[in-house]
Amino acid sequence: MSETLQASGADRDVDTDRDGDKASSPAELEELLVREGDIAGDYLERLLDLLDYDGDIDLDVEAGRAVVSIDGGDDLDKLVGRRGEVLEALQELTRLAVQQETGARSRLMLDIAGWRANRRSELADLGRATAEKVLATGKAARLQPMTPFERKVVHDAVAKVGGVHSESEGEEPNRRVVVFKKD
Amino acid sequence: MTVLADALEHLVRGIVDNPDEVRVNLVTTRRGRTLEVHVHPDDLGKVIGRGGRTATALRTVMAGIGGRGVRVDVVDTDR
Repeated sequence: MSETLQASGADRDVDTDRDGDKASSPAELEELLVREGDIAGDYLERLLDLLDYDGDIDLDVEAGRAVVSIDGGDDLDKLVGRRGEVLEALQELTRLAVQQETGARSRLMLDIAGWRANRRSELADLGRATAEKVLATGKAARLQPMTPFERKVVHDAVAKVGGVHSESEGEEPNRRVVVFKKD
Repeated sequence: MTVLADALEHLVRGIVDNPDEVRVNLVTTRRGRTLEVHVHPDDLGKVIGRGGRTATALRTVMAGIGGRGVRVDVVDTDR
């Protein structure tokens, strides 16, 4: 299990603050992450019950964070929203609910109706295509504003293409990825 | 409509120190419908969040689940 407990190294944009982290040993961290998932699952299950939405909640620990995935009926699209804005808001509230119980800041990831998984694959394609274009033309490319999650996926995809590098510029919510050719 | 109030009450209860003191009322005025969130005075900061971030997240979720056009007000009072 220990390799899954390493925080992903390329966390350029998201969640670099871990000041609430009290766990020390891998076993304690694993235990904390499992507990985070349980608390989040209860919080979200009750929400689905109140709304009378169908949804199965799946709990996991991946790359050093708790992952909660909800899949089910069409109603769940309302919890994703345009460009995932409702999903981001619900993730924020869920992290706060977890922190309320554990006392430690949470980096929990929430996915609903496979939205992050789909978006991740689209963004990885975009990052790769943009990197190749920049490599061919030598001209920097500035992408659309994105959420921290989205920018991280693009940065990771660009990093896999040699000869280019990427940075984020601007202020939220208009922060965007810029891809440059290396000198 | 009570579904929206119940959902909001649940979301707020999970993030405060005094969940039993959370009340959400739906009020209708000439300007439209408002969900009024009442919490223990010590929990106001938690419900509003840094730069209003948590209150914004609550509004975004409420809009997503069908409360578009319904205002969410965190009532700042300890009377």
